[in-house]
Amino acid sequence: MSEVHVEQKTYEMPPKEGITIAHFLTVADVDRSLQFYSKVFGGRILSKGDTIGAPGYLQIANTWLIVNPGGGPTPDKPTVVLSVPPDPNKVSSFMNIRVADIQACYTLWKERGAEFITEPKPKYGETRCYIRDPDGYIIEVGQSNPDITYG
Amino acid sequence: MANAGKNYEIPPRDGFTVAHFLTVTDVDRSARFYEKVFGGRIVTRGNSIGAPAFVQIANTWLILYFGGGPTPDKPTVTLSVPADPNMVSSFMNIRVADIQACYDLWRSRGAEFLTEPKDKPGETCCYLRDPDGYLIEVGQNKPGVTYG
Repeated sequence: MSEVHVEQKTYEMPPKEGITIAHFLTVADVDRSLQFYSKVFGGRILSKGDTIGAPGYLQIANTWLIVNPGGGPTPDKPTVVLSVPPDPNKVSSFMNIRVADIQACYTLWKERGAEFITEPKPKYGETRCYIRDPDGYIIEVGQSNPDITYG
Repeated sequence: MANAGKNYEIPPRDGFTVAHFLTVTDVDRSARFYEKVFGGRIVTRGNSIGAPAFVQIANTWLILYFGGGPTPDKPTVTLSVPADPNMVSSFMNIRVADIQACYDLWRSRGAEFLTEPKDKPGETCCYLRDPDGYLIEVGQNKPGVTYG
């Protein structure tokens, strides 16, 4: 069991009550992905998974990543096929890491092997940049401007 | 562990906090869906000139915004709603303490599940679709399955 504190509440994984949210990534190599997220972001590996159905599990800041190989439909999702991103430039959803000091994160995570698409760039209300993970997923890294208090 | 006791918030005052970005067709429709079904808290509704909506749900935040072409910080990437909802790479995975209760409650609030909860190795699991067709897993570990 592991837990995090968010907005003064405690969330456990697995939850004893209510819900706790994780982020699932279909990956080509579970161990490679666990190593990447552990090394770059200081994530804590909770399970390395196995070949009979248990996924890799990693705690990272306030959430958990679940990493598992792809596969065809299952009885609980009879029309869905899971695969690594077929085209890394066509994206719908992604992990978005909000940071307090983007230059420090950019420098540290780059030194740990993260491949950034560009250096941090100013945008509306924030400064941000993007990383590719080993399967080509984009990860946004963003720091809100001092006067931006939402979210 | 290093961060035991740390309180995560957005924007973070130190370190980092992880959120989940969804490209959506209608920001307001999505914000209301996540608020109504899961009891999320709409932190901001965003605007049409660059500010996304933020919805806090349990231990994380959803960031909801329109799609669009490349930007200087991702010059080759195009964001769009899921082109084919049956070809999926990543998704939000909601771990729950009581899947039958969540299934009944969220269904009564308008969630459309693909199937009822099904028994699998180590867990009981079902899936729903959000208004843009994003897949959301709902899963309850079996007693004794303590990973994660």
